[in-house]
Amino acid sequence: MTYALRKLGMLLLTLWAAVTLNFFLPRLMPGSPADAAIAKLSQNGPVSAATRAAIEAQLGVPGGNLLEQYVHYLQQVVTLDFGVSFTFYPEKVSDLVLTALPYTVVLVGIVTVLAFVIGTLIGVLAAWKRGTWMDTLPTLGGSFLSAFPYFWIALLLLFFAGYVGHLFPTSGASSPTAVPEFSLSFIGDLIYHAALPALTILITSLGGWILGMRNAMINTLGDDYVTFAEANGLRGRTVALKYAARNAILPNLTGFGLALGGVVGGSILVEQVYGYPGIGYLLYNAVVNQDYPLMQALFLMITVSVLIANFLVDILYGVLDPRTRR
Amino acid sequence: MTTNTTPGQVDEQPILRVENLTVEYRSEGFEPVAAVKNVSFTLRRGEFIGLVGESGSGKSTLGFALTRLAKPPATIVDGKILFHGSDIRTLDAEELRKQRRGGFAMVLQSGMNALNPVRTIRKHFHDIFRAHGHVEPGSFNARASELVRKVELPETVLDRFPGELSGGMRQRVSIALALSLEPELLVFDEPTTALDVLVQHAVMDTIRQLQASEGFTAILISHDLGIVLESTERVLVMHDGVVVEDGPSHQILDDPQAEYTRMLLSHYADPRAEEIHIPGFSTRGRSADAARAERATTSPRSDARAARRADASIVVEGASKVYAPPRRGEKPVVAVDNVSFTLAPGESLALVGQSGSGKSTIARLVTGAEKPSSGLVRFGDSNLASLRRRELRDLRKNVQMVFQDPYAALNPLHTVEYTLMRPILNFTERRGEAARERMLELLETVGLTPAETFAAKLPHQLSGGQRQRVVIARALASDPQVLVADEPVSMLDVSLRAGVLGLLEDLREQWGVSMLYITHDLLSARLVTDRMMVLNAGRVVESGPTADVLRNPSDEYTIRLLDAVPNPARAREGR
Amino acid sequence: MTSTTTPVRARALRGALRTVGRIASTIWSNPRARIGVVLLAIFILAATFAPWLAPYGASQDGFERSAGGSAAHWLGTTAAGEDVLSQIIWGARVSVFVGFAAGAIATVIAVLIGLSWGYSRGFGGEVVGFIVNLFLVIPGLPLMIVIASYLQNGGIAMIIAVIVVTGWAWGARVLRSQTQTLRSRDFVTAARFAGDSSFRIIFREILPNMTSLITGAFFGAATAAILAEAGLEFLGLGDPTTVSWGTMLFWAQNSNALLTGQWLLLFAPGLCIALLATSLTLINFGVDGISNPRLREGKGR
Repeated sequence: MTYALRKLGMLLLTLWAAVTLNFFLPRLMPGSPADAAIAKLSQNGPVSAATRAAIEAQLGVPGGNLLEQYVHYLQQVVTLDFGVSFTFYPEKVSDLVLTALPYTVVLVGIVTVLAFVIGTLIGVLAAWKRGTWMDTLPTLGGSFLSAFPYFWIALLLLFFAGYVGHLFPTSGASSPTAVPEFSLSFIGDLIYHAALPALTILITSLGGWILGMRNAMINTLGDDYVTFAEANGLRGRTVALKYAARNAILPNLTGFGLALGGVVGGSILVEQVYGYPGIGYLLYNAVVNQDYPLMQALFLMITVSVLIANFLVDILYGVLDPRTRR
Repeated sequence: MTTNTTPGQVDEQPILRVENLTVEYRSEGFEPVAAVKNVSFTLRRGEFIGLVGESGSGKSTLGFALTRLAKPPATIVDGKILFHGSDIRTLDAEELRKQRRGGFAMVLQSGMNALNPVRTIRKHFHDIFRAHGHVEPGSFNARASELVRKVELPETVLDRFPGELSGGMRQRVSIALALSLEPELLVFDEPTTALDVLVQHAVMDTIRQLQASEGFTAILISHDLGIVLESTERVLVMHDGVVVEDGPSHQILDDPQAEYTRMLLSHYADPRAEEIHIPGFSTRGRSADAARAERATTSPRSDARAARRADASIVVEGASKVYAPPRRGEKPVVAVDNVSFTLAPGESLALVGQSGSGKSTIARLVTGAEKPSSGLVRFGDSNLASLRRRELRDLRKNVQMVFQDPYAALNPLHTVEYTLMRPILNFTERRGEAARERMLELLETVGLTPAETFAAKLPHQLSGGQRQRVVIARALASDPQVLVADEPVSMLDVSLRAGVLGLLEDLREQWGVSMLYITHDLLSARLVTDRMMVLNAGRVVESGPTADVLRNPSDEYTIRLLDAVPNPARAREGR
Repeated sequence: MTSTTTPVRARALRGALRTVGRIASTIWSNPRARIGVVLLAIFILAATFAPWLAPYGASQDGFERSAGGSAAHWLGTTAAGEDVLSQIIWGARVSVFVGFAAGAIATVIAVLIGLSWGYSRGFGGEVVGFIVNLFLVIPGLPLMIVIASYLQNGGIAMIIAVIVVTGWAWGARVLRSQTQTLRSRDFVTAARFAGDSSFRIIFREILPNMTSLITGAFFGAATAAILAEAGLEFLGLGDPTTVSWGTMLFWAQNSNALLTGQWLLLFAPGLCIALLATSLTLINFGVDGISNPRLREGKGR
């Protein structure tokens, strides 16, 4: 229990640090992002004093009182009030973010867990059958796959399965004609559209889990408790799963938390290629249009999501390792 | 002992017959190295034999081969291992697995790491029962309880995780798990080496009792001839992959045939004896003790020593060291509790106790590595607690340390020359050729000749004993007044210990350094110290002249430590 | 010989050479790593001798636009009428350079922070640890995108800087834990007793014992840098006028190579990125074997 509380404290501290980093980032940059943003916004019409204040609180104003801005900024974060986007004028930034968020969370979340489970199982098998083709194939394949750029796989799949093969839609999260409702046909449509992005993330992230688990398990296979379990005549499957793999999954889980950021980053590129309306695609649009308020809000949202996911992994670790319970 | 071991009894088929067994370590790109060479022996049902050898003798490799646990690069290249007449080398994986129950089992050296850290002890038992099906599912728990009681553990350990148990308890659990297989042959590979002295003694007692009550055949692999002779009826002595002697324990004790066995035996003695004979040491009787006390006060031949003899004392007054609790909500750890002593110039003082007694903490206090929580530690006029960085360096010039593990105390990437030049350049005025001469001189002092050859070597090219000599030479380089030696021989093979101890003793006599000798090994303390302090849980329980304390101990803890010393001679009395 | 400094220094040099030789031979003894070394060598050679190897200049245009492969243009031409093969060969320069430069700088930072953080104890260490962990969990690519977006079109130097900012933390963490292990080893205590300064202990006792880990951290950071550079340029966040594999893909997508069916234009640069990154990953297989003998080649069971 103290373990969970300590991790929770750590989460809050890290969240605060991430929010603060987000505050300083635009202020450390050359030029004035706030002025640039207001200038862009004024192309859409007159900018109200309130909007100007909101943007300045978020992006900084030269010579302003930093502490005052910081307090104002924290208020913004807590109330999720990030002003208006000029790319999608007059949509509110917070609305845009909240609309896009579920697409990414569901897509990346499900695929990542799936990739972790499949990759871990293959890694276990590779380590157990070390030196055979069942080891060589996945490790070589895995290291090759993990070196593939996300967007390249996305482009290739899109080209061959989308444009050439016409097997999957080439863009969007649902058919333009589909009516959003809780029905089998609509969910099917969603899955149909998410298939290629999901496959891309799966292919590129699988290699890392395979290699990580294989190496961790080769280590535990050399541990004394595995030798002793063999000396006691336990069945091979028990030794492999309950002794070697069960211990090897702990370091792999730590790696999972740290690699999550990489997967989320990769999904931005994937969403951009597929025009999938998640956080990544939105971020790409914000970046291209230099929509700083939207960009800052998105970056904060991505960071917070990853931190929370990391916290959940930590808690799972605590459940799996009795040594943290003491 | 119920088993009859009369030789010549032929009607009974031997339980194990090893014929011309050769095991090699083979790795790609290297010449194969034979670890076990053409070994043959037989083992009768119910026998308890010892397999003794120093590091690198091949004893563990043999043990792993006998239980078919040898893994690449270790490869059995020749010979037969007949268990009940059939060669276990021909068993396929599943036959071998089934055979683990009621066949041969093994208890590993590192029993503390032999348990799965994420499984409770109970699950360990259940795994075995399930794998072999020899216990009814309904009586899993009852049988597990019975087994842990057999190794003298409370049933509550069943619901603990390995990390919650002490090293001794974990080793007992390992033994209980091996017993749960109901083996006919049980191989113990250094079952107590990683444990504390008193715990070692208790675990060995348990093993002996179990062997008698359960009636399994047992092989005890150990580097310690004392432990083996105490426990077993027959001993195989291994040296360099070859069995050099195979005979009844009493015969090996009274009339060893092999030169090597005689050499091993010569390094054992009862620290309580009036006189002690160890090769390289003169008789250590009362007269010798008196003589060395005298030498300590008269002028030594100081030609080897550049500067002065030790003239400052280390004084410890009412020192305590309290560490923060390891976990929140627990009590602070009192490592050292109100300890006072003086190490006079030229004196040699033993700090004796098992791990956790606070002896290593005292070493850190007198070397300035840590500050006492209360009390005072002085060297000469300076209070160690108030030293600045600069002064700490001056202290290091005078108070040097000899480390326990010669394999860890030398940087594997530096030559002996680099290692020895550092303190010479840092602490003395010698530069250039003069410094190098000094370095070579030090090597000669510690007996590493020709010095030029040794200077160029890297640690991995040296034996354990040679490494420890380099460590000692480094400690001497700054011409210190005090040597703090933390278990300097405990990691060395028995045959090398006397040499290193003799060197320390000579240095003390010739250089006049005082020595704080930290150990759990009472015999070595008897050999190289004048006075002794026995520590238990941070407190001094007994102190006085070494021979007096050992021969007439008054504290119960000292007596227990003395009883735990393996002593081949005592084996004869017990039998 | 009148002074020992020269022979001592010569010996130190020999020691360093021996370490490098040991690492190189262990890497080479691993078949997978050997493939990686050969692959990497091919890319480095291509980058070095690009002016001689490439049939045309990198930005030389005026050829038929969006053509497929032919004898004159093996991999076809871009939408702007440039030779694809020539761009691939010239583009190797950017990827190899960014990979090695960003990898090297990130590794140097990781070594400095990892070693000092691992060697010192106390509150300062806790703070450094918190910052390192923060940089580890904050998603790297989004951070790079945000920074790169503020520094519009900063070119290769900006890309390297952005990659370094997010790429040092992993190495720092690994090196720190190894430093902590080594710090408590007796030979480090012994060096302190021999009067050596902390600085000397860190650089002469601890650092040389971590060469394999540092090598591994370097190759890992270089792999990440190559992929990140390509990703940033693909998003148009680099300087789109430089010819690199990332910008090739950027232009390919912007010129609708997908619709026109010019799959070679998509396939070739991506494959090169993947192969270069793979070569470094493969080399790291060999490096792993140095720092962890259990991972060396051979049948484990």
